[in-house]
Amino acid sequence: MIEIKDLKKTYNGITVVDIPSLQINKGESIGLVGNNGAGKTTLFRIILDLIRKDSGVVLSKDSNVSDTDTWKDYTGSYLDEGFLIEYLTPEEYFYYIGSLYQVSRADIDVKLEAFTDFFNGEILGKKKYIRDLSKGNQCKVGVVACLMQNPEIIMLDEPFANIDPSTQFRLKNMLKQVAAEGQITSIVSSHDLNHVTDVCKRILLMEKGLIIKDIQTDGNTLEELESYFSVMK
Amino acid sequence: MILSFLQHQWKAFWRSKNTGKSVAVRVVMAFLLLYLFLNVVVVAYFLDEILDELFPLERVLDAFNGILLYYFIFDLLMRFQLQELPTLSVRPYLALRVSRDQIVNYLSVSSLWTGFNLAPVMLTLPFLLKQVLPYHGVGIFWGYLLAIIGLTLFNHFFSLWFKRKVNLNSWFLLAFVAVVAGLGLLDFHWHIISISYVSKLLFTHLYQLPVLAFIPLFMAIAIFFINYKFLKNNLYLDELRSDHSGEKTSTDISFFNKFGVAGQLAATELKLVLRNKRPSSSLKICGLMMFYGLLFYPNPAYGVGFGWKIFAGMFMTGIFIINYGQFMFSWQASHFDGIMAHKIKALDFFKSKLILFYSFSSITYILTIPYVYFGWKVLLVQSAMLLWNLGINTLIVLYFATRNYKRIDLSKGASFNWEGVGASQWILSIPLFTLPFVVYAPFSLLGQSMAGVLCIGFVGLAGMMTRNFWLGLLVKEFSEKRYQIAEGFRNE
Repeated sequence: MIEIKDLKKTYNGITVVDIPSLQINKGESIGLVGNNGAGKTTLFRIILDLIRKDSGVVLSKDSNVSDTDTWKDYTGSYLDEGFLIEYLTPEEYFYYIGSLYQVSRADIDVKLEAFTDFFNGEILGKKKYIRDLSKGNQCKVGVVACLMQNPEIIMLDEPFANIDPSTQFRLKNMLKQVAAEGQITSIVSSHDLNHVTDVCKRILLMEKGLIIKDIQTDGNTLEELESYFSVMK
Repeated sequence: MILSFLQHQWKAFWRSKNTGKSVAVRVVMAFLLLYLFLNVVVVAYFLDEILDELFPLERVLDAFNGILLYYFIFDLLMRFQLQELPTLSVRPYLALRVSRDQIVNYLSVSSLWTGFNLAPVMLTLPFLLKQVLPYHGVGIFWGYLLAIIGLTLFNHFFSLWFKRKVNLNSWFLLAFVAVVAGLGLLDFHWHIISISYVSKLLFTHLYQLPVLAFIPLFMAIAIFFINYKFLKNNLYLDELRSDHSGEKTSTDISFFNKFGVAGQLAATELKLVLRNKRPSSSLKICGLMMFYGLLFYPNPAYGVGFGWKIFAGMFMTGIFIINYGQFMFSWQASHFDGIMAHKIKALDFFKSKLILFYSFSSITYILTIPYVYFGWKVLLVQSAMLLWNLGINTLIVLYFATRNYKRIDLSKGASFNWEGVGASQWILSIPLFTLPFVVYAPFSLLGQSMAGVLCIGFVGLAGMMTRNFWLGLLVKEFSEKRYQIAEGFRNE
């Protein structure tokens, strides 16, 4: 699904991402972990062609993401508030996203109904602009907007960071379900090791731009990661 | 404590993004301020002669008395519009070991440092020194000075208090302007009522009894304490905010639906314009600009030629393109990553801008058609300039937009806001203002000015017809620059 070759990105002489080769297959659920500055967000942005890479290629379904736009048709992503339009109400934003992906308003309404629990009554019909929502609620809007695009790839950068515990559980269940169905490839980054090991079947551990561990999740993964992070200086 | 507050504010000013980082912006800003300052000085120095010219039948001091009240009404109006509330800057101190009184004192005192408070004194002091002090004595001089300072301070604290207390929207302000303008007309033009009479009455009393100057001073002190108390009781984060967030509704602008994705983007951007402080004030400027013609068309000094008409016509039909377009795509800086990562073709993105430009320019064109009252040539020029704006200026503005990497914070007001201003805006103005004249001048020199105007319209039309070709080039340019633009917009 996604293939990365010889990827390199440096800022002011410091290498922030350096990935000689990475293959992500259809239906995989990837968890991306690493301390601040490890290059997780930069990697996301490069895959989404938001920043220029110094060298290498990112292929999505075998086509270079820098040269074509076709990957945008099936890639849903939410990295930060920069993906939201802060002066729209959540409803307007969902309709806007729908209009980009040729989903009608009626269909959007139907889809939104499925997220009633997830929204917990805090998003729809509140008569607020997105900019007046709390960070956690903004995150909910972003994640749902991303899921509504009928994507084949989902990319979320630290979706668990600002949301309340109940929503964390619901989001985890949603992601697990996606992973179990095996149709959608997901890449999720998080600082919460419990969450990623719970949700993702494959963990990529980044340190200073390198992927230093690439492991299939099993019973020992959490322990392995915890021991890595506890000895880090 | 006050000292470190002041120190912080000093740093905040010089390190703020609005101050402008580049040297060029600072130099231009300094020149502008100097120019404004010089204007004030010149006006102030010649105030007595200006008054003599305007009101030849009256004694100078009477005329002066007559306009004072007007000045302070306008002052209040300008303050409502432009004066910023010094609020959010106290946020970090609220939770620290600083007493409330200190914070409120600081807020009140530091707010005094604004041009609005300097201007009245600077404008009137030379007059008072020249006309009042020598002829009417020290007592009356001080009476006037104290009264003017008192009224200034009253206006200052009143506008601060009022702005916090009431949610002033632009309609309210427009109504206020209309009322003042109406009163002015009734007063000066039709002589039905007379504010100047009231003004004269008040200040003549002051002239006779300078002690009365303490009345405005007491008013100022009273409103200071009202404001003080109000601030102290409302020193909470959510209540200090200047914009009261009311209920927001979802709207659907169906007019744009027929243009597909580009239309959706245009509709969303229209919401951007309407729902955010800074772009909506550029919309207000569009409204004001439609009166620009009144400066040029009726005035025989600007001659029978087309030169000034071209200038006026370009501004009136194209002000949105110029004023809003110069900061393109900075308006969308805060969600630019979303625009890039979502399924939006660059061509649709550019088309949406054209839709927006075409709509606004057509509206201003239709609204300025009544200028045909000043002759059919006016309408001809305006039509030609509309075509020019749509065909040429849109493309120029969009080309420069691909070279603009500066982020704009939508929530900040427009007045004296230099965020997002860079070299590209200055350079942009050159082709914008000169190109129509480059087309027009050769014809004009040959005595064929009419043909020149027609040629402007024709070139504009040609630009419109071939726009897909130019859009293609712009899209190419954009995809080369897209990383740089997105990178710039991410830098807060």
